[in-house]
This record gives sequence, structure tokens and C-alpha cells, in this order.
Amino acid sequence: MKNKENTTRKINMYVLLLIGVVISLFPFYWMVVGSTLPSGKIFSVPPKLIPGNHLLENAKTLNESLDFARVMWNSLFIAIIYTVISVLLCTMAGYAFAKFQFKGKKFLFFLILCTLMIPFQVTLIPLFEIMVTLDWLNTYQAIILPSIASPFAIFLMRQNMITIPDSMLEAARIDGAGEFKIFFSIIMPTMKPALAAVSIFLFMSQWNNLLWPLITLNSKDMFTLPVALSSLIGMARIDYGQVMLGTTLSVIPILIFFLIFQKNFIAGILGGSVKG
Amino acid sequence: MRKWLLSLLVLIVIVSGCSNDAEKGETGKGIEDPGEVAGKITVWGWDVAAETLKLSVDKFKEEYPDVEVEVEDFNSGDLYEKLTVGLVSKGSGMPDVILMEDERIPGYVNQFPEGFLNLSEMGYDKHKALFSEAKLENVMHEDSIVAAPWDIGPTGVFYRVDLFEEAGVNAEDIVTWDDYVKAGIQIKDKLGIKMLPIDIAKYDGVFSQMMQQQGTSYFNENDEIDLTSEEAVRSMEMVKKLYDNDLVLNNSGWDGIVTATVNGEVATVPYGAWYTGTIMDQAPDLKGKWDMFYLPQFSEGGTRYGNVGGSAILVSAYSKNKNAAYAFTEFFTTDVDTQLLGFEKYGLFPSLKSTYDSPILTGNSAYFNNKPIFKNFADIVSEVPKVNMNKYNAQASQIMANAQASVLLEGTPVQEALEKAEKQLVNEIRE
Repeated sequence: MKNKENTTRKINMYVLLLIGVVISLFPFYWMVVGSTLPSGKIFSVPPKLIPGNHLLENAKTLNESLDFARVMWNSLFIAIIYTVISVLLCTMAGYAFAKFQFKGKKFLFFLILCTLMIPFQVTLIPLFEIMVTLDWLNTYQAIILPSIASPFAIFLMRQNMITIPDSMLEAARIDGAGEFKIFFSIIMPTMKPALAAVSIFLFMSQWNNLLWPLITLNSKDMFTLPVALSSLIGMARIDYGQVMLGTTLSVIPILIFFLIFQKNFIAGILGGSVKG
Repeated sequence: MRKWLLSLLVLIVIVSGCSNDAEKGETGKGIEDPGEVAGKITVWGWDVAAETLKLSVDKFKEEYPDVEVEVEDFNSGDLYEKLTVGLVSKGSGMPDVILMEDERIPGYVNQFPEGFLNLSEMGYDKHKALFSEAKLENVMHEDSIVAAPWDIGPTGVFYRVDLFEEAGVNAEDIVTWDDYVKAGIQIKDKLGIKMLPIDIAKYDGVFSQMMQQQGTSYFNENDEIDLTSEEAVRSMEMVKKLYDNDLVLNNSGWDGIVTATVNGEVATVPYGAWYTGTIMDQAPDLKGKWDMFYLPQFSEGGTRYGNVGGSAILVSAYSKNKNAAYAFTEFFTTDVDTQLLGFEKYGLFPSLKSTYDSPILTGNSAYFNNKPIFKNFADIVSEVPKVNMNKYNAQASQIMANAQASVLLEGTPVQEALEKAEKQLVNEIRE
């Protein structure tokens, strides 16, 4: 009896989950199909579910509208460099806040948390003026540097690192390890899940960033993917086939990135939640 | 989202308004050194307009070899966002020359009166006679020209010659809007095809064309909101009549209209002259099957002319190279060959009247039923009634679209919907 009840419950659950999967995957699938159709056919009712044969034409027009390889390179370069530097900086900051005692520590941490609450739009204009003064418009550093220290990442790393037992660090110090040695050989390896989570978070936020690059970048050969895709929306006509293809292609790197780190992702996000 | 951002930016300006007083002195207007025109200028535009600007550079350099021109191309929404940021930060990162839609000009010029060069002071007034009065009205601010007129959209009703013939309707018989409704019913009964597309909840284009042909807009001649005028009631009643007779295809956005045009879901499209480019581009198979007639009138003897859309060129007051920027703007908007180039390649209909004698504009178009369709448009440019546009245009248009939806889709009486819209607009713009 009980077994049977269990099975029906399971079946019900899976049916629900399946519906959820279909709902969340369908737009994605539709985008992929859309990239193989000519613009006029994409919005037909009922929606087309079988890929068409217009993929090459879409690729051709997409490449005519923008130098896709260059744009992809810009986006990858910016996102990767940003992620690497930012992860390192934020981990160090988080480590300091979690494990060191220094004057004004609580206040500084409070300040950092405060910046989490300021919407980006507020700092946009001052930041933009700084970029103009530095003559950094239209450069990679203008996109990478202003957001290099992410308060959210620092917060997440601190919460995770608090759980590291102090005795472990003391043991390392007694064995004669320097602070950098401790950080790189002991802290970093134990923080892998958190690092993965922070990396994915930072990479995604930079990869999808539209507003700031849009404001600071002016020439087509510096555009990142979101800015370039946005430029495809013409005044008089929009070729949705090429937009769909561009969007599909822009998802691939982030998909790969996520697949590599996903095992650690959930663990990392939840890492600081028990003992905070 | 964008609206929200913009209002936030405006808030920032207000809050930080007093901080930069010291620098204000240097953004003066006028010519510093009239002799020399040289240096590098940057131009912002979008889409085919940006392409036209690029094409013009070669000929411009024949006259001004020392000026380097760089045209940067964004989509128009992005351009406005970047422009607002630049203006808020007093010219940082701004280009020298900016393309702008007519309907946006009053908003920007009122909000940033120091941001744009007064073209009259640079000497643009001498070209006034080259443009129609209605167009000049759009680019003036307090008796000065702030934007150099470029393209316009004289209106007409594009129609399918083959469908009209099949249904036995003669386009020349359509003189009043009532004739138009009658023709629509005939086509609907015979072929099952609707008469025209309207994006009911989002765009009041047909309504505003009707308003303009009657010589009025959302605002009366004293710049006061007037959404309950006789003309407004008459126009909305007509839109309702079209809808009640099941002649309106309710479709979403620009793409909906284009799709309906291409797929033959509608027999006519009332729109601006620049729509010719889109039809030819998107529906090459329908060659020879399109033609146009002027907007129907409301009563015998009423005017049949209106205008939709158009753009102009502004010069940044923060430009380090005002002479070169002005020289380019003046050249681009007054050079006949350059204006014809944009028309021939991309269908951007020039407001420069001296282009209208060119064979390119007067000749018969093979695509449009071998008729001189562009000449038809050019002929009416001077007769388009001049109407009032101000900085609240965009808001008014959105509110009217809402009113349109409530009249057509929810059955609200016209008078009531218009009164409600007027009240709403008055509330929204109260400062």
C-alpha cells in the first residue's frame, strides 16, 4: 500500500517537474529554431518547432552587420580577465574580513555592504565622468576596472571563509608558512565550491552587462556581445533571424562556463548559509 | 526600464544641478575663429540614416579637405541613452553632431537648453527658404533653429492595386474617410481582407495623421493640452467607425505592420513616404501591385495632407570643433546630391525642396504601379499643415494610444475616453 502511494506521489512530482522543464526550455528551443528561419517566418502561429534551412543566410547577414568574431573576442576577453582578477581580489578581501582583526573592520565591512544597496544608475554619471577624464572611453579597462571589486562577491567569500577553523591557520603559521602561502595553498583549495560560485556569478554579470559598455563604448570594433546585439535592432527593420542566431551564439560560452563549474555552484551558494 | 533610467538621470541633474557652475562660462556659442574649418568631428546616427551620413563624407571633404568625419552607428534607443548621459555630464564623451527624430527635439532642447548649438547664430537662417514651414516648425526653439532639417514623412495611403481591382473598388473614388470605410467594407465582403493595420494599444499613428491633416495636434496653438477638441473627437470617432466595421487588423508593433503588408493581410496602409523603402525591401514579390492615394479628408474641401516622422541634425554646444561640426551639418542638409543619395539608396525623403525637381523624384516608379509616387509626396510637402509639437509629445501619444484601446477594445464612449486621457496627461506633466 505504502509503496503504491509513494509511486503515485513520485509520478505526480515528475509530471509537475516535466511541465516546469518544458516551460523553461521552450523559449530557449524556440530561439535556436528561430536562428534557422528567415525573419518573416519566426512569428508564425502556431510557432514553428522544426528547424528551417536559413541558418547559413542568417550567419551571412549577421557577419555582414557586425564582425562577430571580433565582438565575441571582446566579450570573452573582458569577461575572462575580469573574472580572474575580480575573483582573486574579492577572495583576498573576503579572507581579510573573515580571518583578520584590524581597526575599523566592522565599519569597513558595513560600508561595503552599503554599496550593495546603491543601484548602479546612481554611480553611472560620476563614473562616466571619471572615464572621460582618464580618457578611457572606448577601452577594455573602462569596462573591467570600475566593477572589479564586487561587494557581493566579497560578502559571499567572507561568509564562506568564516567557517574555516582558526586552528587550521594557526597550525600553518606554526609550521612556518607565510601569509601568502597560507592563502594560496590552504585557503584557496578549501574554498573551491565558493570560488566556482563566485566565478560563475561574476562571469555572468560581466557577460550580460549591457548598460555600462553601451555608455562607454563607441566604435563597433570594441562592442561587446550585448551591445552589438542591441545594435542589430534597426530603426526601420529588424532581422529577427540574425538576432536569434547572434543570441544563440552568445549563450554558448556561458553554457560551457556553467557546465564546467556547475557541480560546485550549488554547494558554493549555500556554503555560508548554515553558519553565517 | 529605459524610461525609468531616464527619469532617474533627470533626478540626478536636478539634485546635482548647482555643482558645476564654475565651468558654465566656457560653453558659449558662436564662431571663435571664422576663418578656419579643420579638425576631427564625430557624428552619431542610426541605421540607414547613419549609412547616408557616411556616404556624404567623400563629397564633404572635397569642400573641406581638412576636416575628418567619423560616423558612429547605434540603434536609436541606445543613442538617446548615451546622449542623455553625455548631456547630464556636461558634454563628456559627446559627439559633435547628432541625429535626432523631430518628436524628440523639443524634449531634449527643453531639458538641456545649453547642450545644443544655436544654428541661427551660426548663420543657418539663410537656408530657411529651402524648407517647408511645417518642417521648420519642428526644428525651432524660441525663434531660433536648433536642428538642421533632414528627412520628413509626408503621408499617403498605400494600397494594393490588384486587390482593389478584384473587389471592384476605384481608388480615385475615395475622397472622404466615409468613402474609405465604404471601400473597406466592399473589399472585406468580396475578399475577406481587412482594410488597414493599427497597433491599437501601442500606437495612435492613424489618429495622429487625422489630427495633423486637420491642422492640429495634442496641443493647441497656445501650447495647451487639447485632447477633447472637435478634431480629436472626429478623428477618434472615425477610428472607431473603422474598427466597428471590422476593417482594422490589430497587430503588434512595427513588425506586425510590416508582416501584414508583406503577407497581404491588409489592402491599405496609411503611412509616411519613407514606408516606400520598407515595402520595396520587404516585399520584392509585390512589385507593381502597390500605389498610393492621399489621405481621405473629413469633409469636401478639407486638406488631405499630413506628415509622420522625420529627423533632423543637431550640433553639440560642447563640441571642441564647432565650426567643422556646423560646416558638416550645413553641407549635409543643404546639398542636393547628398540628400538625393539618401533618398535613392534608402528611401529617406528629403525636406530640402530643391531636390524635388530631380528626375529621381519626379520619375515613374516601376515598383509602384509605374506611377510618379515620389512626386505625389513631394507635391504636398509645402501644404502639410504646420502643427504644434512640444516636449510632452511622447507622453501624449502614449496616452492617446491607451484611450484608443479603451474606445475600441472596451467600448468606452469617445468623449469620455478623450476627457479621461486629457485629465491624465494634465496630471502627468504637472511639474
